[in-house]
Amino acid sequence: MMNSHRTIESNTRTSPLNAEVVQYAKEVVDFSSHYGSENSMSYTMWNLAGVPNVFPSSGDFTQTAVFRTYGTWWDQCPSASLPFKRTPPNFQSQDYVELTFEQQVYPTAVHVLETYHPGAVIRILACSANPYSPSPPAEVRWEILWSERPSKVNASQARQFKPCIKQINFPTNLIRLEINSSLLDYYTELDAVVLHGMKDKPVLSLKTSLIDMNDLEDDDYEEKDGCGMDNLNQKFSSTALREGPNNGYFDKLPYELIQLILNHLTLPDLCRLAQTCKLLHQHCCDPLQYIHLNLQPYWAKLNDTSLEFLQARCTLVQWLNLSWTGNRGFISVAGFSRFLKVCGSELVRLELSCSHFLNETCLEVISEMCPDLQDLNLSSCDKLPPQAFNHIAKLCSLKRLVLYRTKVEIEDYDVIASMIGAKCKKLRTLDLWRCKNITENGIAELASGCPLLEELDLGWCPTLQSSTGCFARLARQLPNLQKLFLTANRSVCDTDIEELACNCIKLRQLDILGTRMVSPASLRKLLESCKDLSLLDVSFCSQIDNRAVLELSANFPKVFIKRSFTQ
Amino acid sequence: MFSVLSYGRLVARAVLGGLSQTDPRAGGGGGGDYGLVTAGCGFGKDFRKGLLKKGACYGDDACFVARHRSADVLGVADGVGGWRDYGVDPSQFSGTLMRTCERLVKEGRFVPSNPIGILTTSYCELLQNKVPLLGSSTACIVVLDRTSHRLHTANLGDSGFLVVRGGEVVHRSDEQQHYFNTPFQLSIAPPEAEGVVLSDSPDAADSTSFDVQLGDIILTATDGLFDNMPDYMILQELKKLKNSNYESIQQTARSIAEQAHELAYDPNYMSPFAQFACDNGLNVRGGKPDDITVLLSIVAEYTD
Repeated sequence: MMNSHRTIESNTRTSPLNAEVVQYAKEVVDFSSHYGSENSMSYTMWNLAGVPNVFPSSGDFTQTAVFRTYGTWWDQCPSASLPFKRTPPNFQSQDYVELTFEQQVYPTAVHVLETYHPGAVIRILACSANPYSPSPPAEVRWEILWSERPSKVNASQARQFKPCIKQINFPTNLIRLEINSSLLDYYTELDAVVLHGMKDKPVLSLKTSLIDMNDLEDDDYEEKDGCGMDNLNQKFSSTALREGPNNGYFDKLPYELIQLILNHLTLPDLCRLAQTCKLLHQHCCDPLQYIHLNLQPYWAKLNDTSLEFLQARCTLVQWLNLSWTGNRGFISVAGFSRFLKVCGSELVRLELSCSHFLNETCLEVISEMCPDLQDLNLSSCDKLPPQAFNHIAKLCSLKRLVLYRTKVEIEDYDVIASMIGAKCKKLRTLDLWRCKNITENGIAELASGCPLLEELDLGWCPTLQSSTGCFARLARQLPNLQKLFLTANRSVCDTDIEELACNCIKLRQLDILGTRMVSPASLRKLLESCKDLSLLDVSFCSQIDNRAVLELSANFPKVFIKRSFTQ
Repeated sequence: MFSVLSYGRLVARAVLGGLSQTDPRAGGGGGGDYGLVTAGCGFGKDFRKGLLKKGACYGDDACFVARHRSADVLGVADGVGGWRDYGVDPSQFSGTLMRTCERLVKEGRFVPSNPIGILTTSYCELLQNKVPLLGSSTACIVVLDRTSHRLHTANLGDSGFLVVRGGEVVHRSDEQQHYFNTPFQLSIAPPEAEGVVLSDSPDAADSTSFDVQLGDIILTATDGLFDNMPDYMILQELKKLKNSNYESIQQTARSIAEQAHELAYDPNYMSPFAQFACDNGLNVRGGKPDDITVLLSIVAEYTD
């Protein structure tokens, strides 16, 4: 912890001298994704704690915090999920990280030291709960300190990001950053976060937070007072309405037309509207309005009570997004189970990324209450014990399953690949990023068993050797491949590239970071043959220098050729 | 945030005068925490001189000194020069290995009683780097557990350490060689050369643990020292160490390194390296020009 005690004097009136405290983060306690391997120090979120390791240098360094994705490449893949309806336009967060600090302070500034492709931070929040206090807090509040739409930063160099934050009336030592990487040219990397604040509540505003005109125009801050659950729950609650004299001209409109108009409202607005009159109450509580239910934007406020209020309207829900919700005691296993028992029967898609309240019982409930589930996302649910995953076996209609950063136990990936090759003949996308022990045997089974594969991520799989011919085999047997990641496979060579050029002409995205055995000549052949190629990552490929990249880019201008660097 | 070297000074001043190297009752039974006051010196084979900077490289050698709440840790690594012939800079591997060990220690990602763990984890981290690192090196890690007063060591290859108490060597590491001039080594080979390049697992390292006493001197060095300077010469230099003042330690480390450096280029001197060669039927004489890295530490009381 860096401690600098500077007393800041009041300007005009007498007020007690207040010491400013400056701190680096003590610990990273939660996050949605990272690039590195779970127990590693390289490119993992834990690097965000403590003093900076790299700043003010710029470059792609191991000692920084890096998220799993960037740009829109993953949205362009075959595995991309369709967006939920009714997502509020001001919710653009794709990733988050939560950090604690030693001392609780009233924040005056939050600085983020970004060392590569800055500009991804779009929201900063503070929590009233102290993660180090022995007794659980009475009330947990999250307040937005700063928020903005994603905007393009035109440099890839390091910068110290110093947004102007709002003053809040509670002390905090738990800060959350929310990230949107869609405008980035490459992975963003963060080195440290600095929290400036006062130990004691400022008596008067020593530094008035700037009033951003955008704040007043958009309804950007969900509930501007940010005072907790009650506000959101009030909107959900079904209060008894008096019988009014008339409904204006609304009752002249056909039912379906009103429904169509209501489709455009955000969820809180829909719930507010329900309280205006009986006709609109009927419309707004119609289960047809809740076929898609995206509760992720409201993670900071959603709790058991909210679910209870929504229950009655959600009996027909087909797509449910509870990602990021329920943490720190907001949603209980009982509350979630109750909701699913009422609303689970029609569920087709269930997003539960980073929902740490989930336990084995929850998975059991899902498997019992959602027989038609096709799409289940459990990414980063790292509190689920390995045996919990047995329940997923009962879901016979599954078409999409995400187990990124879960504790599902897999001893031998070759066995998994073999099973997939035997049973999932129609498989289109497979993500085996960092699968530690898959070998050419597993690849052979996959290649022969799943000819329809369009997307295959084999990044950082160290046990694959090109000399076994496994990549050549892949290329020959998977003609539909659109995305192939062979990130950090040091054995990828010219022959493999040439096989891809011959056989996988539908290729759109290829990552061959870190191989010394691929020459510009074979890449040229690939680019000539694969007309749809739009992403080619040749970072840290020793034979591909800047000049080669420039030449290839000049001849193939539609392709984004990425070449990262450390200095 | 203090640097390791200035911590050394603080600790040294606290115990000045209260220490005797020859008194076996000094420390050992002391209840307080122990620390290492460490200074280093080295010479790259091509006459590059240097005083120790944290994580410095001398030629293809590299070293580190790191401090954690629970332990003081230091290490040396001797980069295998043969890689140069294949266009690989041998100092990249040893340097990155040592810097990674340093980072591991500072972040507390280690167990003091498991120095092989530090090597293993560090080696695995090298493989997590986007940059395709290549090369190999020996490694020697020394950990002082503050509260248990035990020294835990791991040695892979022909670098090593000595522990001197009362003017005598009481502990030393064993050399690990596959055959002449081919020590055990950690390595990352290019895929086309895998199976051909010598690559030992971190688990192959020798590991020892033993108690230390206040005033014990620990000398950790690469083979550039041991191949050029026999024990008695080293001990002679160490006798000149009057106190556990950082400046004295640094001076002694320097004089040892300088002496070894001079002897390395003496064509008539019967160095330990030449002696060993003779014992094995090779009629040679003279020192062995090599990178030399010397880390000299004294066990002292630790104050935060």
